[in-house]
Parts: sequence; C-alpha cells; structure tokens
Amino acid sequence: MHEMSIAIEVCRIAEQQALAAGPGAGSVVAVGVDVGESAGVELSSLTFCLETLLADPPFAGAKPVIRRSPGDVLRVSYIEVDDGRPND
Amino acid sequence: MAVRTIDVRERVMARNDELATEVRGRLRDAGILTFNLVSSPGSGKTSLLERTLADLGEELGISVVTGDVQTQNDADRLARHTDRLVQAVITHGACHLDASQVRAALDAIDLARTRLLFIENVGNLVCPANWDLGEDAKIVVFSVTEGEDKPVKYPRLFEQARYAVLNKMDLLPYVPFDVDRALGLARRVNPDLEFVFTSALAPDGMDEWYRFLRTAVRQGVAA
Repeated sequence: MHEMSIAIEVCRIAEQQALAAGPGAGSVVAVGVDVGESAGVELSSLTFCLETLLADPPFAGAKPVIRRSPGDVLRVSYIEVDDGRPND
Repeated sequence: MAVRTIDVRERVMARNDELATEVRGRLRDAGILTFNLVSSPGSGKTSLLERTLADLGEELGISVVTGDVQTQNDADRLARHTDRLVQAVITHGACHLDASQVRAALDAIDLARTRLLFIENVGNLVCPANWDLGEDAKIVVFSVTEGEDKPVKYPRLFEQARYAVLNKMDLLPYVPFDVDRALGLARRVNPDLEFVFTSALAPDGMDEWYRFLRTAVRQGVAA
C-alpha cells in the first residue's frame, strides 16, 4: 500500500505548483499523473487515494487524470487550474 | 471561467531521490559501505543481523537502522548484540522506509565508528522498490521455506538488488524447495544477481556471508 505515500507526494507537488502559479491549491481542477507500466503502482489504488486527498483542503475536489505510459516513469505531468478569470 | 494547464513534469520521487543522494554523499564521505536489506516478513533478516552483529559487529564496525511498522522489537533484539546505536524507525503503517527517515536516523548514529551500515527495511517485497535510501546496494533476502518463484513474483526488487541471500539452507531436507529452480528464476529476472547462502541459526551457516562482508568492506562494491 505505498500508493498513499505516492499520492501524498503528488499532492505536495500539485499544491506547490498551484501556489507558484498564483491561485493556490483550491483552484486546481485536475492533476495529470503519468504512471509507467513497470512503475510498481496499482492504478485503481492510486486513483482512490488521489480522489480522497484532492477532495479535502487545501484542494477543493480536483480530479486525478492518470495516464498509463511505457517504462517506469512516475511523474506529475500537469495541473489544470481555474483562476476565476473570464475567458479571453 | 478560464481553465489553464500548467506544465509540471516533476518526478514523484524527485524529493526522495534528492534526500537519498544527500544520504549517500554523507555515508561515502564517512567511508561507510551501506546495504539496504529487503525481504518478505519472516525470511530471517533480523536473525541474520543479530548473528552478524554478535560475530562481526566490532571487527567491521557495523551499525544498523531498522524499520518496523509498529513495534521496536527488531531494534530491541539487535541492541542486545551491540553497544552501537541501533536506530529504530517506526513507520506507523507505512510499508517501506524513505530517505528522509534514514537521514534522520543517521544523526543518531556514530558515523565515525561505523564502517558498514545495514538498513533493515520493512518486510515487504513490493513497496521498498520505489524508495532509494542512499544505499550502495540492495540485498534481497529470501529463504527456502518460501516459494522458489519469489523472484518472478516480485521482479522489481530482484532486478534492483545486487545480491541475494538465500537463508535457512539448513531446512532444505525438510521442505520441497528446489534451489536450482530458484536460482534460475532469479537469474532470468536479473542475470547479474550474486547469491550468498546462509543458515542464520546453524553453527557454521554464516561462513560464506562473513567472507562476503569482509571482502565488501575491504574492497567496496562496484557502483
């Protein structure tokens, strides 16, 4: 059950990036994670852990978007933030 | 409402790996050889270390960091065999050690008196594979009372390990364990894996292991 440790680290990175971008963790609507076939991570378990963590503050219901990749990659690929500004 | 995408591309293990690099640097600067011992529960890691500490603890300047999920039992067992600090990490449910725990444990170890450090990981053949602890090499311990197919069931750790200890060899007459098949399966996963055979509770069951350790401390292990 190391998926929870991985999920906590994903959330730490996402929060840090959202703060650096300005609007903070509450504005995150999606967190993209690349998980390699041989990364040793169980996808349904990771999804469950991320959904649980992203539902609570400092997040406000962001959605995990997990993409299976070849190799042993394990990284946060992007975050989507809704900064409340109207469309250009 | 404007949703924008921010490119991140940050490895999830980046922070752990930075800390592991720092730990590795401190240990190498201090001239200490470090092994990360991984295995399933009950393969005999603690018995192997108890005996090693009793017999070679002073000669090789051995210190140990143990990781247990919920008790300090392993550290208490090991502490009977050495005055060198055995620093217990209680993970409170986590199934592996991480580099920040090892870094914190190092502060409590007398590095100047240490030449060989064992990190006894939590008994688990899956999760520890993701966490670099700053070791020079991983040693996977398994025993003849387990299935011969452990290496193909848990290929990641067997791939990462440089050495494998096959323990409880003295029980071979009583169990249906096929050593050749186990070695064949292990080498299929990792052709470079080097084996050491032990019986941690038999009088002469540690000779090969002690030769291995003396050589490793003298010569180091290949990077």
